[in-house]
Amino acid sequence: MKVALNQAVDWYVRLNDSQVTDAQRAAWQAWLAEDPCHAQAWARLEGLRQRFEQAPQGLASMALENARYSRRTAVKTLAALFGVGLVGWQGYQVSPWSADYVTRVGERRRVTLADGSRLDLNTDTRVDIRFDAGQRLIHLLHGEILVQTAKDSRPLSVHSTEGRILALGTRFSVRQIGALTRVAVEEHAVEIRPRLAEAQMLRVEAGQACDFTSGRVGDLRPAQTSASAWAQGMLVVVDWRLDDLLAELSRYRSGYLGCSPEVAALRLSGAFNLDDCEATLASLQDALPVEVHRMTRYWVRIDQRKA
Amino acid sequence: MSTVCPQTMPHAQLELLYREHHGWLHGWLRQRLSSSADAADLAQDTFIRVLLARSAGSLREPRHYLATVARGLVIDLYRRRSLEQAYLDALALRPESYEPSAEERALILDSLLAIDRMLDGLGERTRAIFLAVQLDGLSYEKAAERVDVSVSTVRKHLAKALMHCLLLEDE
Repeated sequence: MKVALNQAVDWYVRLNDSQVTDAQRAAWQAWLAEDPCHAQAWARLEGLRQRFEQAPQGLASMALENARYSRRTAVKTLAALFGVGLVGWQGYQVSPWSADYVTRVGERRRVTLADGSRLDLNTDTRVDIRFDAGQRLIHLLHGEILVQTAKDSRPLSVHSTEGRILALGTRFSVRQIGALTRVAVEEHAVEIRPRLAEAQMLRVEAGQACDFTSGRVGDLRPAQTSASAWAQGMLVVVDWRLDDLLAELSRYRSGYLGCSPEVAALRLSGAFNLDDCEATLASLQDALPVEVHRMTRYWVRIDQRKA
Repeated sequence: MSTVCPQTMPHAQLELLYREHHGWLHGWLRQRLSSSADAADLAQDTFIRVLLARSAGSLREPRHYLATVARGLVIDLYRRRSLEQAYLDALALRPESYEPSAEERALILDSLLAIDRMLDGLGERTRAIFLAVQLDGLSYEKAAERVDVSVSTVRKHLAKALMHCLLLEDE
């Protein structure tokens, strides 16, 4: 059978050529009829071809190459970190999809933890939960969370890439933005300790917010009004620039969302429904002298309205 | 999914296997996956695989066997997720608005998964040539240009890739 399969493959490669001749086609027909084995081998090749056809042209090869690339990078990262010998599955541990709780872009989720604490996950967020006899740990790997702590004898803290936030019986939100962690406190207080400068501990009280990096704590400032309204599916803005609003809305939807420079500095206030970004975009046309241009669902741009 | 064969493990034997090793397997997976939901799912799937496998019979080293099966499932899960993400990303980049239904997406993902598995073990160049011709529909000349090789090299690598896929089906 292997010989017949080899011949079938040779024929396939020849017939698939744009410069195939009638003589070649006739010769292939003759080969097919020569032996039932040949027809059988050809049928298998045909089955294989049909399977490839189920994959969407253009998209498939891109998806396959990118998936392979992302797996390889994940494996490399791990190798660099731990210097371990690698087999495929080890890459899994650093894969971005492996977390205890995950939300996709545009999704929100509320979970109650084992101690009764409540955790809201905003769009595109990943957290791991590590509770043991001595402590309650929430690892924020990506995105934004709102924590409402429950009473428990064990301390509760949130770990971000930049450092630790110790809760002092409280309600607060933590957001990971690039190489920055943003904390806003709604009730009671928290203590922030940057990873590389633990001595720079800073206490943040209710109504205050603070950004910190792994080496430095920023200044205390008043927390934005309704900063955690997202947990109720709302975005509340007061006197925001249009480009800032679009950047914020971009967190909740896939694709490009931007505006032309002429309208970037227009200001507006309002409450927007995060579950219906399209309606929010449409409402901008009522509030401001702008037009929404859509190339596709994934490419939206706001321009000045033509007179 | 395969069907249950007459030679599968007797029910009582599987139950015993499950009772004695499920906790251990779940712990083993939990150490390797950072999601406990995934670990629980895969532990269940492992036992389903064992149930459906003809060869299970009586196991001399059940934990070794369970770990081998589970490891394969972890690789599959990881493969599926990386493909799903890459497919959605590729979809989002398309200029025209096209939204496949959930069912279509699942079918496409299955076919991508099957192809991805088949292409394992092929060299970089063979793989690139195969993708260009078979999935992107390029002519041999265009594929040769893209990969920067001769047309006869394209033919040779295409044949090699196809043969590789056919022989995998035999296993």
